[in-house]
Amino acid sequence: MYAIDDFVGAIRHCLQCNFCLSACPIYREELVEAHAPRGRLNLVEAALVDQRVAPNEKVRRRLDRCLLCASCARVCPGGIPLDDVFLAARVELSGKPGAGLTERFVVRQVLNRRVTSSLLKRSLSLARRLGLAPSDIPRVASSSFTRRAPREAAPRGPTAARVAYFVGCGTEYLFPDTGEALLRVLPDHGIAVVVPEGQTCCGLPALALGDLDATREAIEVFLAVFAALEVDAVVTDCTSCGHMLRQKAPYVLPPDDPRLKQLRALSEKIFEVTEFLERLGVQRKHPLPDVKVTYHVPCHRGWSEGVAAAPRRLLAQATGVRWTEMREPESCCGAGGYFFLRHRDVAERIRRRKIEDILATKADVVVTQCPACRYYLQQALADEGPRVLHPVALLAGMGP
Amino acid sequence: MTGLLRDLAALVDPRRVWGDVEDLVAYTNDATHRRELPAAVVAPESADEVAAVLRYANQRGIPVIPRGAGTGLAGGAVPVSGGLVLDLKRLNRILEIDHKNLTATVECGVVTGHFQREVEARGLFYPPDPQSLAVCTIGGNVATRAGGPRGVKYGTTKDYVLGLEAVLPDGSVISYGGKSVKMSAGYDLARVFTGSEGTLGVITKVTLRLLVLPPSRRIMIAAFPELDSAAEAVSALIARGAEPSMLEMLDRIAVTSLQRYLPLGLPPDLEAFLIIEVDGHPAKVEEDCALVAEVCREYGVHEVRVARDAAEAERIVQARRALFPAAARAAPNLVIEDATVPRTQVPAMVRAIRRIAERHQVLISITGHIGDGNLHPGIIMDRRFPESVRRAEQAMAEIAREALNLGGTLSGEHGIGLLKAPFLEWEFGEAGVSLMRRLKRAFDPHGIMNPGKILGGGTAGVRD
Ligand SMILES: Cc1cc2nc3c(=O)[nH]c(=O)nc-3n(C[C@H](O)[C@H](O)[C@H](O)COP(=O)(O)OP(=O)(O)OC[C@H]3O[C@@H](n4cnc5c(N)ncnc54)[C@H](O)[C@@H]3O)c2cc1C
Ligand code: SF4
Ligand code: SF4
Repeated sequence: MYAIDDFVGAIRHCLQCNFCLSACPIYREELVEAHAPRGRLNLVEAALVDQRVAPNEKVRRRLDRCLLCASCARVCPGGIPLDDVFLAARVELSGKPGAGLTERFVVRQVLNRRVTSSLLKRSLSLARRLGLAPSDIPRVASSSFTRRAPREAAPRGPTAARVAYFVGCGTEYLFPDTGEALLRVLPDHGIAVVVPEGQTCCGLPALALGDLDATREAIEVFLAVFAALEVDAVVTDCTSCGHMLRQKAPYVLPPDDPRLKQLRALSEKIFEVTEFLERLGVQRKHPLPDVKVTYHVPCHRGWSEGVAAAPRRLLAQATGVRWTEMREPESCCGAGGYFFLRHRDVAERIRRRKIEDILATKADVVVTQCPACRYYLQQALADEGPRVLHPVALLAGMGP
Repeated sequence: MTGLLRDLAALVDPRRVWGDVEDLVAYTNDATHRRELPAAVVAPESADEVAAVLRYANQRGIPVIPRGAGTGLAGGAVPVSGGLVLDLKRLNRILEIDHKNLTATVECGVVTGHFQREVEARGLFYPPDPQSLAVCTIGGNVATRAGGPRGVKYGTTKDYVLGLEAVLPDGSVISYGGKSVKMSAGYDLARVFTGSEGTLGVITKVTLRLLVLPPSRRIMIAAFPELDSAAEAVSALIARGAEPSMLEMLDRIAVTSLQRYLPLGLPPDLEAFLIIEVDGHPAKVEEDCALVAEVCREYGVHEVRVARDAAEAERIVQARRALFPAAARAAPNLVIEDATVPRTQVPAMVRAIRRIAERHQVLISITGHIGDGNLHPGIIMDRRFPESVRRAEQAMAEIAREALNLGGTLSGEHGIGLLKAPFLEWEFGEAGVSLMRRLKRAFDPHGIMNPGKILGGGTAGVRD
């Protein structure tokens, strides 16, 4: 469970090689070891395990300046789950004052409640006027996706598979076009889709705040809505939802919770949509030979083998787009969920590198499977630059 | 803000001075188990800033600990209580890569792996390959004479330093050597700074010798049922002129923990594994591959195979680099030894290490750059328990002593640092160590530069 006691063994096993420093986007900008993964790990140990340092606001602020991108954990040869340690530390420190009250409100009252877009818009504008929310928080789509999406989409031709669609908050509030594309593309390839009612957030925003209760609430809803469905898979269009539901969710329930077994089984069934499609094989083609496409690989990719490879192979097979790889396609864009709202300076410096790499490709479209990356990149690319889309949008024939 | 921090903030941009304990804990250690909290961290961006900070510290008698990436395995970058850590990673520019003279000039904070990639992109070659190259710095490499698997054919960092710039504790800047490949002028100050582990001054700039990138490279793995036959095969290989560019040995404990990280399809029940690389012109590489396979068979190899393609070769190289940290999957902590013996003494050294392991009831995995007699016994311990640390350090001392008995040295490439400072006299005697002390005093009369390292006598690292 996300309690520091459960990670003491992992912390002690770290061999202090500092290899993880080379993978950290924040360190790359700050060049100071207090903002490198090993430094953070040692801060967690000092403050929360050995109590050599008081676990105060200063500790919290330093641990907060972390994208939770898991790049460090991915490169650690020792298998130290660094981002889990950082999550557990946030949970541990969340009781302390000053721990993101506005965000906590949004998570509990909006994301976990799946309020309508219009209600969300009204409350955000109120929050802005009261100075509780930054002025440039993402613009919410005029109508939330699940309010207008059909509950089911029947396959064309024989049924190859039946899936349930987990609609993340990104698609729900920011980019309903991704959901529309998905509901067109999967049936095109013989996949029956249900869009279960009552679903809410995956819980990652709550967990990043260290709000374990709100996270548990989200996971309980996930279980209640999805566990009983007779489907071959649960697909998501969001790599962060997949990361949360496949890898993190089991640590949210206490180890003796009777629902854990059910949750594990369900977690195994979570697939990112392009990876799922690629596994099943492409049935139909949507030629887009004139579109030049590059791919930004989201950081939350470690949870399934094919997340980073699938869009490349799938788009090549099904659309014949002109593919161009950017320099360092796997490096972070700086978004980190809502990290960029809280740490603008460093997030923007990270994004600047990415934007340069994107522009150098002269691509018409950047594809990526993370709505936060999409939002944050599109914001900087503005109108003249390439459009940022989910790969399924291209499969649905939605060009630039 | 304390006086120290205020003073430092007047010397460099205050945003590059840290004094909060929440920031300092990231600087308490290198890759060893010793820990000590410094009083402050400063990150200079130029040699001038280094000079300003040193001059200040020298006047006040404040200890200064130069630091690269903090990956050292001898405790060299572990702070001294009340000391000032000089984080040099911002001095990270590659100033020049000179294709015609085959030299490069870099600032000390350049990351070794990054530098190698830049050089190789130009068809050139910088061989020293400490396995920490993804993070460690050229300055740290020079200050420790870092080596790596390629040392068996290409030597170590010390063989590539043509010249350097360094700041002395009084703030003066010296420069010795440069692009000339020959030099017979004065005392070789570049050599003195090479391996000085931050005890004489701060190396700010280095001019390095480059080679031309070999056109072809092949990697092989050989699995032996017995360690002795593997060691004999190594001697035979070199005697028959195979000239491997890498000759690494891993024992069963190491292979088992490594394969948990990256499965290589190696049989888990054999005693010794060799990773052998040959490089050069394609025809010679083919020839050497055949020779290696032949010799291994003569010495009873169980299996020898050549990496199929570049991807598999890369996988093997990656696995070798991950060897120590991957041990975290099996062991709580690890002290990495660095004892080095003449090549012919490797089997004797291995036997001695096993005896020592048994005597102290510790588990020791034996790996190393067997081609040049540089073993890296990994002593498994648990830093939470003082008794475990004590036993590990005792085993370390005995291994060091044994290496000297066999005509070897305390350290092949990691340096003396804090961990081996107590043993220095075993190797150099009283007269040798006393001369080293006088040398240090000539550079650093107030003893502010990394006190306690190499020559001992400091208080660093006495508590956890
Ligand atoms: C997993 C792992 C594998 C390793 N493999 C190898 C290997 O194969 N071969 C090998 O030789 N080593 C190896 N090492 C040890 C280590 O990486 C090297 O000693 C390396 O040279 C240290 O570089 P650094 O930048 O991290 O220096 P640090 O650890 O920061 O410092 C090392 C010493 O150099 C001094 N120093 C650093 N920069 C300067 C400077 N600019 N001027 C003056 N003094 C300075 C410090 O005070 C300290 O005494 C390994 C370490 C790890 C963790
Ligand atoms: S890479 Fe892993 S073992 Fe190495 S310092 Fe980072 S967390 Fe520790
Ligand atoms: S999760 Fe990402 S930002 Fe945080 S320490 Fe690891 S690599 Fe750095």
